[in-house]
Amino acid sequence: MSTKHTKAAEHFLSDKEQETWHNETLWFVREKRDRMAFSIPEWEELREMANKIKMHTITHLDTYLEQFTDKAEANGVVVHWAKDAAEHNQIVLDILQGLHAKKMVKSKSMLTEECHLNDFLIRHGIDVIESDLGERILQLKGEMPSHIVLPAIHLKRQQVGELFEDKLHTEKGNSDPTYLTRAARQHLRNEFLTADVGMTGCNFGVAETGDVVVCTNEGNADMGTSMPKVHIVSMGLEKIVPSIQSLSVFTRLLARSATGQPSTTYTSHFRKPVKGGQMHYIIVDNGRSEILANKKHIQTLKCIRCGACMNTCPVYRRSGGFSYTYFIPGPIGINLGMLRHPQEYSDNVSACSLCYSCNNVCPVKIDLADQIYRWRQNLDSYEKADPLKKTMSAGLKFLFERPGLYNFALKFAPLVNYAPRFLIYNGLNEWGKGRELPRFAKESFTSMWKSGKVKPKK
Amino acid sequence: MSSKKDILYSLKRNIGERYDMPDIGLLEGIIYPDPLEKFIEVSKAVGGDALVLKPEEDINVFIKSHYPEAKTIASNLREIKVATFDPDQVEDPHTLNGTDLAIVQGEIGVAENGCVWIPQNVKHKGIYFIAEYLVIVLDKAKVVNNMHEAYKQINFGEKGFGVFISGPSKTADIEQALVVGAHGAKGVTVILR
Repeated sequence: MSTKHTKAAEHFLSDKEQETWHNETLWFVREKRDRMAFSIPEWEELREMANKIKMHTITHLDTYLEQFTDKAEANGVVVHWAKDAAEHNQIVLDILQGLHAKKMVKSKSMLTEECHLNDFLIRHGIDVIESDLGERILQLKGEMPSHIVLPAIHLKRQQVGELFEDKLHTEKGNSDPTYLTRAARQHLRNEFLTADVGMTGCNFGVAETGDVVVCTNEGNADMGTSMPKVHIVSMGLEKIVPSIQSLSVFTRLLARSATGQPSTTYTSHFRKPVKGGQMHYIIVDNGRSEILANKKHIQTLKCIRCGACMNTCPVYRRSGGFSYTYFIPGPIGINLGMLRHPQEYSDNVSACSLCYSCNNVCPVKIDLADQIYRWRQNLDSYEKADPLKKTMSAGLKFLFERPGLYNFALKFAPLVNYAPRFLIYNGLNEWGKGRELPRFAKESFTSMWKSGKVKPKK
Repeated sequence: MSSKKDILYSLKRNIGERYDMPDIGLLEGIIYPDPLEKFIEVSKAVGGDALVLKPEEDINVFIKSHYPEAKTIASNLREIKVATFDPDQVEDPHTLNGTDLAIVQGEIGVAENGCVWIPQNVKHKGIYFIAEYLVIVLDKAKVVNNMHEAYKQINFGEKGFGVFISGPSKTADIEQALVVGAHGAKGVTVILR
């Protein structure tokens, strides 16, 4: 019954101190989010509005994307379309090679992680520099992000200190976050100044104006697009919002949900290329348009990638991002992974207690937990249902269909309470691992009811 | 067929029920008894500063006394006499590196989150981000309650770039410890008057 998630989580849990820190730190972010949400009386209306705008937009993407493209092209932007990751990566490479560019500085983009862009470009001789501090740390360390907003949340300061000693020649043994951040500032300032091209992701694309909006706290997207004259934007096609006015709804929700800040430090609106420069948008499908036909999972397309569902998830907090097999972890990642490839990523669907907290914090009201439940119901159709659970279900079905046998079995069930531990807590009983089982009641409810021991409250 | 056509075709084929656009105008954003006071409070909470310049105070004297160590001071605002250079006279934005302080004009302040809207009103937008410290000058009558009000008023100008800035550049990517001054300004002061 062990999934890849439970096995990896076991490894994560073996460092108790780190696990506690991870859990408490993310819960603290969740609490900051709550304080922000509660300070806005219209918070729930705002979520509902965001939900409706997104449902409208994703079901009108054909018209909005054309409008967005027309506006952007009128503003002097070159718009490219990519059906999949390979086409996206090739477009980027073609732009870079056309400019004889050697170095590209990037700000955070989960889409480029999805496309494995960095590896591809590096293979083709391009120097790719991640500029978000967390992403840069991971790039230097050769790791993937373990959270979509807090990418290096799995690392301790000492690990970053040692990494910087090696890569940036910082002082030995100094792991002070301010000192390390200053060192990175200096190091990356030089990269910004020597890059040929800047690349960003996209938080929102505005159909009525052709604008792209990018939100950061560090200012790396802005530095990366202020020094080089060429700006490439990589955007998933679901990032569209209809109007400037609708941005007000999403910018109010995004940072509050993500990190519990009232706003990101920078909310940058890009409309035209800089004088004498170029701006390119790459609109990427990579499976997204197919999701529109999937009624059970269409709502994943509303996601604004705030990470609130991860921060609140008791399983994510106590198992870490690397326990999931898809590159986006947590509730949204479970669903996106299944949409990508159900056979490959089904190990993650068990990483959920169906507590529904994610549904309640999601700023665009995605039915995250309902979707996870639905995937579980269909595991058998992907031949991914757990054989032990299937056997047990068949056994229980046999029992439930035979009331006599059921009642007989129930009568003797309390005997388990007196069974020696090794009979109950052993390798065969997955439910007995890491937890105490509930005790069977001495008498069943049915027999108590029949003998008049249960009386309705007057 | 081009990828654009393929993708648009795939979208049309896969879209089922089409949902209506809600009326954003029906949403009532938070209103503060004193938006200016709230703006100042939130600006401080996000690690920046905001203050109202008294009528008798001189903005140049104020800046000089608040940033006594700034040597390279950039501003394209005529009244800023303490500026050591006009960034609009610079040809290459790379040479803006090393600017200690930049003084720029903001257009709209937002009480709920301390944001100031700056439509690109300098030659190189880089000056907003590359300076070690940033001062934003803002008309105190232009502070609105919330983002709904702000987005109704924003303009872009010819350059095609605009940014909301709320406090200094920051990161918490190392162990969630907040550090101010990641890549952009290490400090932001909004001077209201």
